[in-house]
Amino acid sequence: MKLTPSVLDLDCLEVETKIRRFIKDYVEKSEAKGIVLGLSGGIDSSVTAALSALAIGGNKVLGLLLPEQETYNTQDIEHAKLVAEKFGLKTEMIDITPTLKVFYNSIPIFETVDKLCKGNIKARTRMIYWYYYANRLDMLVCGSSDKSETMTGYFTKWGDVAADISPVMDLYKTQVRKLAQHIGVPKEIVTKPATPALWPGQLAEEELGIKYDTLDLILYGLERFMKAEEIAQQLRVRKELVDKIKCRWLYMEHKRRMPLTTKIQYRTVGADFRLSYFTH
Amino acid sequence: MKEKFKIALAQISCKRGDKAENVRKIEDNVTKAKKQGAELVIFPELSLTGYTVRDQIYELAETIPGSSTNVLEKLARKTETHIVFGMPELSEKTQATIHNTAVLIGPDGFIGRYRKMYLPTHSVFEEKRYFRPGYQTPVFETEFGKIGLIICYDVFFPEVSRLTRLKGAQLIICISASPAVRRTFFEILTAARAIENTVFLAYVNLTGVEDGLQFWGGSRLVGPNGKVLVKAKYNEEDLVMGEVNYADIRPIETFVPTLKDLRPEFFSELKENAEKL
Repeated sequence: MKLTPSVLDLDCLEVETKIRRFIKDYVEKSEAKGIVLGLSGGIDSSVTAALSALAIGGNKVLGLLLPEQETYNTQDIEHAKLVAEKFGLKTEMIDITPTLKVFYNSIPIFETVDKLCKGNIKARTRMIYWYYYANRLDMLVCGSSDKSETMTGYFTKWGDVAADISPVMDLYKTQVRKLAQHIGVPKEIVTKPATPALWPGQLAEEELGIKYDTLDLILYGLERFMKAEEIAQQLRVRKELVDKIKCRWLYMEHKRRMPLTTKIQYRTVGADFRLSYFTH
Repeated sequence: MKEKFKIALAQISCKRGDKAENVRKIEDNVTKAKKQGAELVIFPELSLTGYTVRDQIYELAETIPGSSTNVLEKLARKTETHIVFGMPELSEKTQATIHNTAVLIGPDGFIGRYRKMYLPTHSVFEEKRYFRPGYQTPVFETEFGKIGLIICYDVFFPEVSRLTRLKGAQLIICISASPAVRRTFFEILTAARAIENTVFLAYVNLTGVEDGLQFWGGSRLVGPNGKVLVKAKYNEEDLVMGEVNYADIRPIETFVPTLKDLRPEFFSELKENAEKL
Protein backbone atom coordinates (compact mmCIF):
# COMPACT_ATOMS: atom_id res chain seq x y z
CA MET A 1 0.00 0.00 0.00
CA LYS A 2 1.32 3.44 -0.97
CA LEU A 3 1.07 5.98 1.82
CA THR A 4 0.54 9.10 -0.25
CA PRO A 5 -1.62 12.07 0.77
CA SER A 6 -4.29 10.88 -1.67
CA VAL A 7 -5.18 7.94 0.62
CA LEU A 8 -6.85 10.52 2.83
CA ASP A 9 -9.02 11.83 0.00
CA LEU A 10 -12.73 11.80 0.69
CA ASP A 11 -15.87 11.65 -1.35
CA CYS A 12 -16.98 14.73 0.57
CA LEU A 13 -20.56 14.70 -0.65
CA GLU A 14 -21.01 11.07 0.39
CA VAL A 15 -19.37 11.64 3.78
CA GLU A 16 -21.47 14.73 4.39
CA THR A 17 -24.63 12.81 3.52
CA LYS A 18 -23.69 9.93 5.80
CA ILE A 19 -22.92 12.17 8.76
CA ARG A 20 -26.08 14.19 8.30
CA ARG A 21 -28.14 11.00 8.10
CA PHE A 22 -26.41 9.63 11.22
CA ILE A 23 -27.10 12.79 13.26
CA LYS A 24 -30.72 13.07 12.16
CA ASP A 25 -31.40 9.39 12.79
CA TYR A 26 -29.87 9.47 16.26
CA VAL A 27 -31.71 12.64 17.33
CA GLU A 28 -35.00 11.23 16.08
CA LYS A 29 -34.55 7.83 17.70
CA SER A 30 -33.53 9.34 21.02
CA GLU A 31 -36.54 11.69 20.80
CA ALA A 32 -34.32 14.61 21.79
CA LYS A 33 -35.35 18.17 21.00
CA GLY A 34 -32.02 19.09 19.49
CA ILE A 35 -28.28 19.31 19.91
CA VAL A 36 -26.00 21.22 22.27
CA LEU A 37 -22.34 21.57 21.42
CA GLY A 38 -19.31 23.55 22.41
CA LEU A 39 -18.41 26.13 19.78
CA SER A 40 -14.77 27.12 20.13
CA GLY A 41 -14.21 28.75 16.77
CA GLY A 42 -11.90 25.88 15.81
CA ILE A 43 -12.31 23.65 12.80
CA ASP A 44 -13.70 20.51 14.48
CA SER A 45 -16.49 22.23 16.39
CA SER A 46 -17.27 24.43 13.38
CA VAL A 47 -17.67 21.40 11.11
CA THR A 48 -19.71 19.51 13.71
CA ALA A 49 -21.97 22.50 14.32
CA ALA A 50 -22.47 23.02 10.60
CA LEU A 51 -23.29 19.36 9.97
CA SER A 52 -25.67 19.31 12.93
CA ALA A 53 -27.49 22.35 11.59
CA LEU A 54 -27.62 20.86 8.10
CA ALA A 55 -28.97 17.60 9.55
CA ILE A 56 -31.71 18.82 11.87
CA GLY A 57 -32.01 22.56 11.21
CA GLY A 58 -30.06 25.34 12.86
CA ASN A 59 -32.96 26.29 15.12
CA LYS A 60 -32.51 22.97 16.92
CA VAL A 61 -28.77 23.41 17.45
CA LEU A 62 -27.37 25.41 20.35
CA GLY A 63 -23.71 26.35 20.23
CA LEU A 64 -22.20 27.25 23.59
CA LEU A 65 -19.29 29.68 23.55
CA LEU A 66 -17.45 29.20 26.83
CA PRO A 67 -14.39 31.47 26.89
CA GLU A 68 -12.19 32.03 29.91
CA GLN A 69 -9.76 34.76 30.83
CA GLU A 70 -6.39 33.03 30.28
CA THR A 71 -7.04 31.80 26.75
CA TYR A 72 -9.54 34.46 25.74
CA ASN A 73 -9.22 35.02 22.01
CA THR A 74 -11.38 37.57 20.22
CA GLN A 75 -10.73 35.98 16.86
CA ASP A 76 -11.96 32.55 18.03
CA ILE A 77 -15.16 34.10 19.32
CA GLU A 78 -15.65 35.93 16.04
CA HIS A 79 -15.11 32.66 14.17
CA ALA A 80 -17.62 30.81 16.34
CA LYS A 81 -20.19 33.56 15.71
CA LEU A 82 -19.41 33.49 11.99
CA VAL A 83 -20.18 29.76 11.80
CA ALA A 84 -23.35 30.21 13.87
CA GLU A 85 -24.55 32.94 11.57
CA LYS A 86 -23.69 31.10 8.39
CA PHE A 87 -25.41 27.84 9.41
CA GLY A 88 -28.24 29.46 11.35
CA LEU A 89 -27.64 27.97 14.77
CA LYS A 90 -28.45 29.54 18.10
CA THR A 91 -25.63 30.53 20.44
CA GLU A 92 -25.10 31.45 24.01
CA MET A 93 -21.87 32.83 25.46
CA ILE A 94 -20.90 32.34 29.08
CA ASP A 95 -17.61 33.47 30.56
CA ILE A 96 -16.53 30.49 32.68
CA THR A 97 -13.68 32.35 34.42
CA PRO A 98 -15.53 32.80 37.74
CA THR A 99 -16.49 29.10 37.82
CA LEU A 100 -12.89 28.08 37.14
CA LYS A 101 -11.59 30.34 39.90
CA VAL A 102 -13.96 28.71 42.38
CA PHE A 103 -12.67 25.33 41.32
CA TYR A 104 -9.01 26.33 41.59
CA ASN A 105 -9.54 27.92 45.03
CA SER A 106 -11.46 24.96 46.41
CA ILE A 107 -8.80 22.35 45.63
CA PRO A 108 -6.28 22.10 48.52
CA ILE A 109 -3.58 20.61 46.32
CA PHE A 110 -4.19 22.96 43.37
CA GLU A 111 -0.96 23.97 41.66
CA THR A 112 -1.21 26.78 39.15
CA VAL A 113 2.06 25.98 37.33
CA ASP A 114 0.80 22.49 36.45
CA LYS A 115 -0.85 23.77 33.31
CA LEU A 116 -2.05 20.38 32.09
CA CYS A 117 -4.03 19.55 35.26
CA LYS A 118 -5.34 23.10 35.31
CA GLY A 119 -6.23 22.98 31.62
CA ASN A 120 -8.12 19.73 32.11
CA ILE A 121 -10.35 21.51 34.65
CA LYS A 122 -11.27 23.93 31.87
CA ALA A 123 -12.20 21.14 29.47
CA ARG A 124 -14.21 19.30 32.12
CA THR A 125 -15.95 22.46 33.26
CA ARG A 126 -17.12 23.09 29.72
CA MET A 127 -18.46 19.53 29.65
CA ILE A 128 -20.56 20.31 32.74
CA TYR A 129 -22.09 23.31 30.99
CA TRP A 130 -22.93 21.28 27.85
CA TYR A 131 -24.59 18.57 29.85
CA TYR A 132 -26.51 21.02 32.01
CA TYR A 133 -28.00 22.63 28.92
CA ALA A 134 -28.68 19.25 27.33
CA ASN A 135 -30.45 17.94 30.45
CA ARG A 136 -32.41 21.13 30.99
CA LEU A 137 -33.49 21.50 27.35
CA ASP A 138 -33.93 17.79 26.61
CA MET A 139 -31.18 17.86 24.01
CA LEU A 140 -28.16 15.74 23.16
CA VAL A 141 -24.52 16.69 23.53
CA CYS A 142 -22.71 16.41 20.23
CA GLY A 143 -18.94 15.98 20.44
CA SER A 144 -16.50 17.23 17.85
CA SER A 145 -13.45 15.04 18.46
CA ASP A 146 -11.68 13.96 15.30
CA LYS A 147 -9.88 10.67 14.66
CA SER A 148 -6.37 12.14 14.89
CA GLU A 149 -6.85 13.35 18.45
CA THR A 150 -8.91 10.31 19.40
CA MET A 151 -6.24 7.87 18.26
CA THR A 152 -3.37 9.81 19.83
CA GLY A 153 -5.34 10.42 23.03
CA TYR A 154 -4.86 14.13 22.51
CA PHE A 155 -7.89 15.19 24.52
CA THR A 156 -9.07 15.49 28.10
CA LYS A 157 -10.58 12.30 29.46
CA TRP A 158 -14.26 12.99 30.30
CA GLY A 159 -13.69 16.56 29.10
CA ASP A 160 -13.87 17.77 25.51
CA VAL A 161 -14.45 14.20 24.33
CA ALA A 162 -17.58 13.72 26.49
CA ALA A 163 -20.67 13.50 24.30
CA ASP A 164 -23.68 11.44 23.32
CA ILE A 165 -22.58 11.25 19.70
CA SER A 166 -19.35 12.22 17.92
CA PRO A 167 -20.14 12.53 14.22
CA VAL A 168 -16.62 13.33 12.93
CA MET A 169 -14.72 10.89 15.14
CA ASP A 170 -14.00 8.59 12.18
CA LEU A 171 -12.31 11.36 10.18
CA TYR A 172 -8.67 12.36 10.56
CA LYS A 173 -7.92 16.06 11.02
CA THR A 174 -6.78 16.55 7.41
CA GLN A 175 -10.04 14.93 6.28
CA VAL A 176 -12.06 17.22 8.55
CA ARG A 177 -10.34 20.12 6.79
CA LYS A 178 -11.45 18.78 3.41
CA LEU A 179 -14.99 18.28 4.63
CA ALA A 180 -14.96 21.79 6.15
CA GLN A 181 -14.09 23.30 2.79
CA HIS A 182 -16.76 21.21 1.09
CA ILE A 183 -19.58 22.31 3.39
CA GLY A 184 -18.50 25.95 3.31
CA VAL A 185 -16.88 26.55 6.69
CA PRO A 186 -15.11 29.94 6.33
CA LYS A 187 -11.55 29.60 5.04
CA GLU A 188 -9.96 31.46 7.95
CA ILE A 189 -11.23 28.75 10.31
CA VAL A 190 -10.01 25.91 8.06
CA THR A 191 -6.49 27.28 7.75
CA LYS A 192 -5.74 28.46 11.28
CA PRO A 193 -3.56 26.24 13.49
CA ALA A 194 -5.42 23.82 15.80
CA THR A 195 -5.32 24.38 19.55
CA PRO A 196 -7.11 22.73 22.48
CA ALA A 197 -6.77 26.14 24.25
CA LEU A 198 -6.04 24.65 27.66
CA TRP A 199 -3.37 27.31 28.22
CA PRO A 200 -2.24 30.42 26.35
CA GLY A 201 -0.23 29.77 23.19
CA GLN A 202 -0.87 26.02 23.13
CA LEU A 203 -0.66 24.62 19.59
CA ALA A 204 -1.58 21.04 18.75
CA GLU A 205 1.09 20.35 16.13
CA GLU A 206 3.80 21.86 18.32
CA GLU A 207 2.76 19.81 21.32
CA LEU A 208 2.37 16.58 19.38
CA GLY A 209 5.72 17.25 17.68
CA ILE A 210 4.41 16.48 14.23
CA LYS A 211 2.37 18.08 11.45
CA TYR A 212 -1.14 16.69 10.97
CA ASP A 213 -0.35 15.90 7.31
CA THR A 214 2.29 13.40 8.45
CA LEU A 215 0.54 12.29 11.63
CA ASP A 216 -2.60 11.35 9.73
CA LEU A 217 -0.65 9.23 7.26
CA ILE A 218 1.08 7.42 10.12
CA LEU A 219 -2.28 6.81 11.82
CA TYR A 220 -3.77 5.69 8.52
CA GLY A 221 -0.96 3.16 8.10
CA LEU A 222 -1.31 1.88 11.67
CA GLU A 223 -5.07 1.55 11.19
CA ARG A 224 -4.40 -0.73 8.23
CA PHE A 225 -1.94 -2.90 10.13
CA MET A 226 1.17 -1.56 8.39
CA LYS A 227 4.45 -2.08 10.21
CA ALA A 228 6.25 0.92 11.73
CA GLU A 229 9.33 0.29 9.55
CA GLU A 230 7.26 0.35 6.39
CA ILE A 231 5.41 3.52 7.37
CA ALA A 232 8.68 5.29 8.27
CA GLN A 233 10.30 4.19 5.03
CA GLN A 234 7.42 5.30 2.85
CA LEU A 235 6.96 8.66 4.57
CA ARG A 236 10.72 9.20 4.83
CA VAL A 237 10.53 9.93 8.54
CA ARG A 238 12.53 8.48 11.42
CA LYS A 239 11.24 5.14 12.68
CA GLU A 240 11.48 6.55 16.23
CA LEU A 241 8.81 9.08 15.30
CA VAL A 242 6.44 6.36 14.06
CA ASP A 243 7.20 4.29 17.17
CA LYS A 244 6.41 7.27 19.37
CA ILE A 245 3.04 7.78 17.67
CA LYS A 246 2.32 4.05 17.84
CA CYS A 247 3.06 4.06 21.59
CA ARG A 248 0.55 6.85 22.12
CA TRP A 249 -1.93 5.08 19.85
CA LEU A 250 -1.72 1.92 21.99
CA TYR A 251 -1.30 3.47 25.42
CA MET A 252 -4.27 5.84 25.08
CA GLU A 253 -6.85 3.08 24.71
CA HIS A 254 -7.88 3.72 28.33
CA LYS A 255 -9.13 7.15 27.25
CA ARG A 256 -11.29 5.71 24.50
CA ARG A 257 -13.23 3.16 26.54
CA MET A 258 -15.56 2.89 29.48
CA PRO A 259 -13.57 2.28 32.70
CA LEU A 260 -12.12 -1.20 32.93
CA THR A 261 -13.38 -3.48 35.65
CA THR A 262 -12.49 -7.00 36.62
CA LYS A 263 -14.66 -9.89 35.60
CA ILE A 264 -16.76 -11.12 38.52
CA GLN A 265 -20.28 -11.69 37.32
CA TYR A 266 -22.09 -13.41 34.47
CA ARG A 267 -22.07 -10.49 32.01
CA THR A 268 -19.70 -7.56 32.54
CA VAL A 269 -19.95 -4.01 31.20
CA GLY A 270 -17.23 -3.27 28.67
CA ALA A 271 -16.39 -6.97 28.27
CA ASP A 272 -19.18 -9.36 27.40
CA PHE A 273 -22.25 -7.27 28.13
CA ARG A 274 -23.26 -6.44 24.58
CA LEU A 275 -26.36 -4.42 24.04
CA SER A 276 -27.35 -2.14 21.20
CA TYR A 277 -28.65 1.40 21.03
CA PHE A 278 -32.41 1.85 20.71
CA THR A 279 -33.53 -1.76 20.97
CA HIS A 280 -36.87 -2.64 22.45
CA MET B 1 -44.67 -24.18 -13.13
CA LYS B 2 -44.81 -20.47 -13.88
CA GLU B 3 -42.14 -19.32 -16.32
CA LYS B 4 -42.86 -15.66 -15.81
CA PHE B 5 -43.84 -13.88 -12.60
CA LYS B 6 -43.52 -10.65 -10.69
CA ILE B 7 -41.45 -10.29 -7.57
CA ALA B 8 -41.19 -7.41 -5.09
CA LEU B 9 -38.00 -6.30 -3.40
CA ALA B 10 -39.16 -4.93 -0.05
CA GLN B 11 -36.22 -2.88 1.19
CA ILE B 12 -37.14 -1.92 4.73
CA SER B 13 -35.46 -0.55 7.83
CA CYS B 14 -36.27 -2.32 11.07
CA LYS B 15 -37.18 -1.25 14.55
CA ARG B 16 -34.66 -3.24 16.46
CA GLY B 17 -36.02 -5.77 18.89
CA ASP B 18 -39.62 -4.87 18.06
CA LYS B 19 -40.94 -7.91 16.23
CA ALA B 20 -44.56 -6.73 16.27
CA GLU B 21 -43.60 -3.47 14.54
CA ASN B 22 -41.45 -5.27 11.98
CA VAL B 23 -44.21 -7.79 11.26
CA ARG B 24 -46.57 -4.87 10.75
CA LYS B 25 -44.14 -3.38 8.26
CA ILE B 26 -43.86 -6.72 6.47
CA GLU B 27 -47.66 -6.91 6.27
CA ASP B 28 -47.88 -3.39 4.83
CA ASN B 29 -45.29 -4.13 2.20
CA VAL B 30 -46.81 -7.46 1.21
CA THR B 31 -50.22 -5.82 0.82
CA LYS B 32 -48.77 -3.02 -1.31
CA ALA B 33 -46.70 -5.42 -3.40
CA LYS B 34 -49.68 -7.70 -3.96
CA LYS B 35 -51.70 -4.77 -5.29
CA GLN B 36 -48.93 -4.21 -7.81
CA GLY B 37 -49.08 -7.81 -8.92
CA ALA B 38 -46.21 -9.36 -6.96
CA GLU B 39 -46.41 -13.07 -6.31
CA LEU B 40 -43.22 -13.24 -4.31
CA VAL B 41 -42.16 -10.55 -1.81
CA ILE B 42 -38.63 -10.55 -0.39
CA PHE B 43 -37.41 -8.85 2.81
CA PRO B 44 -33.84 -8.34 4.14
CA GLU B 45 -31.72 -10.49 6.43
CA LEU B 46 -33.00 -10.59 10.03
CA SER B 47 -35.91 -8.39 8.99
CA LEU B 48 -38.02 -9.75 11.84
CA THR B 49 -35.74 -8.22 14.49
CA GLY B 50 -33.24 -5.83 12.91
CA TYR B 51 -29.61 -6.79 12.37
CA THR B 52 -27.68 -5.27 15.28
CA VAL B 53 -29.47 -6.68 18.31
CA ARG B 54 -26.42 -8.28 19.96
CA ASP B 55 -27.21 -10.06 23.26
CA GLN B 56 -30.93 -9.53 22.81
CA ILE B 57 -30.84 -12.14 20.11
CA TYR B 58 -31.44 -14.75 22.84
CA GLU B 59 -34.75 -13.14 23.78
CA LEU B 60 -35.79 -12.52 20.21
CA ALA B 61 -35.01 -15.86 18.55
CA GLU B 62 -37.94 -18.13 17.79
CA THR B 63 -38.38 -21.67 16.63
CA ILE B 64 -39.87 -22.49 13.26
CA PRO B 65 -42.80 -22.93 13.44
CA GLY B 66 -43.24 -20.23 16.04
CA SER B 67 -45.43 -17.25 16.77
CA SER B 68 -43.89 -14.97 14.09
CA THR B 69 -43.86 -17.58 11.34
CA ASN B 70 -47.48 -18.42 12.24
CA VAL B 71 -48.51 -14.78 11.76
CA LEU B 72 -46.62 -14.48 8.50
CA GLU B 73 -47.97 -17.79 7.20
CA LYS B 74 -51.47 -16.42 7.72
CA LEU B 75 -50.45 -13.32 5.82
CA ALA B 76 -49.15 -15.43 2.93
CA ARG B 77 -52.39 -17.42 2.87
CA LYS B 78 -54.58 -14.35 3.03
CA THR B 79 -52.70 -12.47 0.31
CA GLU B 80 -51.87 -15.58 -1.71
CA THR B 81 -48.25 -14.56 -1.98
CA HIS B 82 -44.91 -16.14 -1.34
CA ILE B 83 -42.77 -14.32 1.24
CA VAL B 84 -39.07 -14.54 2.07
CA PHE B 85 -37.82 -12.89 5.24
CA GLY B 86 -34.98 -13.26 7.73
CA MET B 87 -35.10 -14.14 11.41
CA PRO B 88 -33.00 -15.50 14.26
CA GLU B 89 -34.11 -19.12 14.45
CA LEU B 90 -33.90 -20.96 17.74
CA SER B 91 -33.07 -24.63 17.36
CA GLU B 92 -35.92 -26.84 18.59
CA LYS B 93 -33.50 -29.12 20.39
CA THR B 94 -31.72 -26.49 22.45
CA GLN B 95 -32.44 -23.35 24.43
CA ALA B 96 -29.85 -20.92 23.11
CA THR B 97 -28.55 -22.25 19.80
CA ILE B 98 -29.53 -19.84 17.09
CA HIS B 99 -29.25 -19.72 13.32
CA ASN B 100 -29.37 -16.72 11.02
CA THR B 101 -32.19 -18.02 8.85
CA ALA B 102 -34.06 -17.13 5.68
CA VAL B 103 -37.63 -18.40 5.66
CA LEU B 104 -39.76 -19.10 2.59
CA ILE B 105 -43.52 -19.31 3.07
CA GLY B 106 -46.33 -19.46 0.56
CA PRO B 107 -50.11 -19.55 0.27
CA ASP B 108 -50.05 -23.13 1.53
CA GLY B 109 -47.87 -22.32 4.53
CA PHE B 110 -44.23 -22.99 5.37
CA ILE B 111 -42.09 -24.12 2.43
CA GLY B 112 -38.57 -24.12 3.76
CA ARG B 113 -35.68 -22.44 5.54
CA TYR B 114 -32.06 -21.76 4.80
CA ARG B 115 -29.54 -21.34 7.58
CA LYS B 116 -26.68 -18.96 6.74
CA MET B 117 -23.49 -20.91 6.05
CA TYR B 118 -20.89 -18.16 6.20
CA LEU B 119 -21.13 -16.06 9.34
CA PRO B 120 -18.96 -12.93 9.15
CA THR B 121 -16.97 -12.39 12.32
CA HIS B 122 -14.56 -9.67 11.37
CA SER B 123 -14.61 -5.89 11.10
CA VAL B 124 -17.96 -4.78 12.61
CA PHE B 125 -19.52 -8.23 12.35
CA GLU B 126 -19.82 -10.70 15.23
CA GLU B 127 -22.13 -13.36 13.84
CA LYS B 128 -20.15 -16.41 14.95
CA ARG B 129 -20.51 -15.19 18.49
CA TYR B 130 -24.26 -15.60 18.27
CA PHE B 131 -25.11 -17.99 15.45
CA ARG B 132 -24.45 -21.58 14.56
CA PRO B 133 -23.73 -21.94 10.84
CA GLY B 134 -25.98 -23.93 8.53
CA TYR B 135 -24.71 -27.04 6.77
CA GLN B 136 -27.11 -27.38 3.89
CA THR B 137 -27.82 -25.66 0.59
CA PRO B 138 -31.40 -26.72 -0.05
CA VAL B 139 -33.51 -25.64 -2.99
CA PHE B 140 -37.24 -25.29 -2.58
CA GLU B 141 -39.86 -26.60 -4.96
CA THR B 142 -42.48 -23.92 -5.64
CA GLU B 143 -44.91 -22.92 -8.35
CA PHE B 144 -42.03 -20.72 -9.61
CA GLY B 145 -39.77 -23.70 -10.00
CA LYS B 146 -36.88 -24.39 -7.68
CA ILE B 147 -35.67 -21.47 -5.59
CA GLY B 148 -32.32 -21.22 -3.82
CA LEU B 149 -31.81 -19.04 -0.76
CA ILE B 150 -28.54 -17.52 0.42
CA ILE B 151 -27.76 -14.82 2.98
CA CYS B 152 -25.46 -11.81 2.61
CA TYR B 153 -21.83 -12.91 3.14
CA ASP B 154 -22.65 -16.26 1.45
CA VAL B 155 -22.50 -14.34 -1.83
CA PHE B 156 -18.70 -14.02 -1.40
CA PHE B 157 -18.42 -17.82 -1.68
CA PRO B 158 -19.41 -18.92 -5.20
CA GLU B 159 -19.89 -22.55 -4.17
CA VAL B 160 -23.11 -21.80 -2.23
CA SER B 161 -24.87 -20.25 -5.19
CA ARG B 162 -23.36 -22.85 -7.51
CA LEU B 163 -24.75 -25.70 -5.43
CA THR B 164 -28.27 -24.30 -5.47
CA ARG B 165 -27.97 -23.83 -9.24
CA LEU B 166 -26.71 -27.37 -9.72
CA LYS B 167 -29.69 -28.58 -7.69
CA GLY B 168 -31.96 -26.89 -10.20
CA ALA B 169 -32.61 -23.37 -8.90
CA GLN B 170 -33.21 -20.80 -11.63
CA LEU B 171 -33.85 -18.06 -9.11
CA ILE B 172 -31.45 -17.41 -6.25
CA ILE B 173 -32.61 -15.08 -3.51
CA CYS B 174 -29.96 -13.35 -1.44
CA ILE B 175 -31.22 -11.50 1.61
CA SER B 176 -28.73 -9.16 3.19
CA ALA B 177 -27.79 -6.63 5.87
CA SER B 178 -24.81 -4.93 4.29
CA PRO B 179 -23.43 -1.64 5.64
CA ALA B 180 -22.38 1.13 3.29
CA VAL B 181 -18.62 0.60 3.13
CA ARG B 182 -19.15 -2.77 1.44
CA ARG B 183 -21.48 -1.67 -1.32
CA THR B 184 -19.05 -2.13 -4.20
CA PHE B 185 -18.34 -5.75 -3.24
CA PHE B 186 -22.01 -6.66 -3.30
CA GLU B 187 -22.76 -4.79 -6.50
CA ILE B 188 -20.03 -6.77 -8.24
CA LEU B 189 -20.63 -10.12 -6.59
CA THR B 190 -24.39 -10.24 -7.10
CA ALA B 191 -23.80 -9.73 -10.82
CA ALA B 192 -20.98 -12.29 -10.82
CA ARG B 193 -23.09 -14.99 -9.13
CA ALA B 194 -25.86 -14.40 -11.67
CA ILE B 195 -23.50 -14.58 -14.67
CA GLU B 196 -21.46 -17.58 -13.58
CA ASN B 197 -24.63 -19.57 -12.90
CA THR B 198 -26.84 -18.10 -15.65
CA VAL B 199 -29.52 -17.54 -13.09
CA PHE B 200 -31.81 -14.77 -11.85
CA LEU B 201 -30.56 -13.34 -8.59
CA ALA B 202 -32.79 -11.21 -6.34
CA TYR B 203 -30.77 -9.28 -3.77
CA VAL B 204 -32.65 -7.51 -0.98
CA ASN B 205 -30.66 -5.42 1.45
CA LEU B 206 -31.58 -3.74 4.69
CA THR B 207 -31.63 0.04 4.96
CA GLY B 208 -31.57 2.47 7.88
CA VAL B 209 -29.00 3.17 10.60
CA GLU B 210 -28.22 0.73 13.42
CA ASP B 211 -25.49 1.54 15.95
CA GLY B 212 -23.68 3.80 13.50
CA LEU B 213 -23.87 1.26 10.67
CA GLN B 214 -25.65 2.62 7.63
CA PHE B 215 -27.22 -0.11 5.53
CA TRP B 216 -27.08 0.99 1.94
CA GLY B 217 -30.18 -0.61 0.46
CA GLY B 218 -29.71 -0.77 -3.33
CA SER B 219 -31.67 -4.02 -3.60
CA ARG B 220 -31.83 -5.40 -7.12
CA LEU B 221 -33.01 -8.09 -9.45
CA VAL B 222 -30.13 -9.24 -11.62
CA GLY B 223 -30.72 -11.11 -14.85
CA PRO B 224 -28.75 -14.20 -15.96
CA ASN B 225 -26.43 -11.96 -18.02
CA GLY B 226 -25.57 -9.87 -14.96
CA LYS B 227 -27.74 -6.97 -16.01
CA VAL B 228 -29.48 -5.14 -13.19
CA LEU B 229 -33.14 -5.33 -14.22
CA VAL B 230 -34.57 -3.24 -11.39
CA LYS B 231 -32.90 -1.49 -8.50
CA ALA B 232 -34.18 0.04 -5.26
CA LYS B 233 -32.97 3.39 -3.95
CA TYR B 234 -29.82 3.69 -1.91
CA ASN B 235 -30.10 4.40 1.82
CA GLU B 236 -33.87 4.61 2.13
CA GLU B 237 -36.85 2.34 2.27
CA ASP B 238 -38.21 1.29 -1.09
CA LEU B 239 -40.48 -1.27 -2.68
CA VAL B 240 -39.67 -2.14 -6.26
CA MET B 241 -41.19 -4.66 -8.61
CA GLY B 242 -39.31 -6.83 -11.04
CA GLU B 243 -40.20 -9.54 -13.48
CA VAL B 244 -38.51 -12.90 -13.69
CA ASN B 245 -38.85 -14.65 -17.03
CA TYR B 246 -37.03 -17.96 -17.13
CA ALA B 247 -37.20 -17.92 -20.92
CA ASP B 248 -34.45 -15.28 -20.74
CA ILE B 249 -32.02 -17.84 -19.34
CA ARG B 250 -31.80 -19.95 -22.51
CA PRO B 251 -30.22 -17.37 -24.83
CA ILE B 252 -27.71 -16.44 -22.14
CA GLU B 253 -26.91 -20.06 -21.36
CA THR B 254 -26.11 -20.61 -25.03
CA PHE B 255 -24.11 -17.38 -25.30
CA VAL B 256 -22.01 -17.89 -22.15
CA PRO B 257 -22.45 -21.58 -21.35
CA THR B 258 -20.88 -21.65 -17.90
CA LEU B 259 -22.86 -24.68 -16.77
CA LYS B 260 -22.08 -26.69 -19.90
CA ASP B 261 -18.39 -25.91 -19.44
CA LEU B 262 -18.20 -26.81 -15.74
CA ARG B 263 -15.12 -28.92 -14.90
CA PRO B 264 -15.97 -31.07 -11.86
CA GLU B 265 -12.52 -32.65 -11.82
CA PHE B 266 -11.15 -29.43 -10.31
CA PHE B 267 -13.49 -29.60 -7.36
CA SER B 268 -11.56 -32.28 -5.46
CA GLU B 269 -8.33 -30.35 -6.04
CA LEU B 270 -10.06 -27.23 -4.79
CA LYS B 271 -11.07 -29.07 -1.63
CA GLU B 272 -7.55 -30.41 -1.05
CA ASN B 273 -5.95 -27.01 -1.44
CA ALA B 274 -8.56 -25.23 0.66
CA GLU B 275 -7.81 -27.66 3.49
CA LYS B 276 -4.10 -26.85 3.26
CA LEU B 277 -4.50 -23.04 3.25
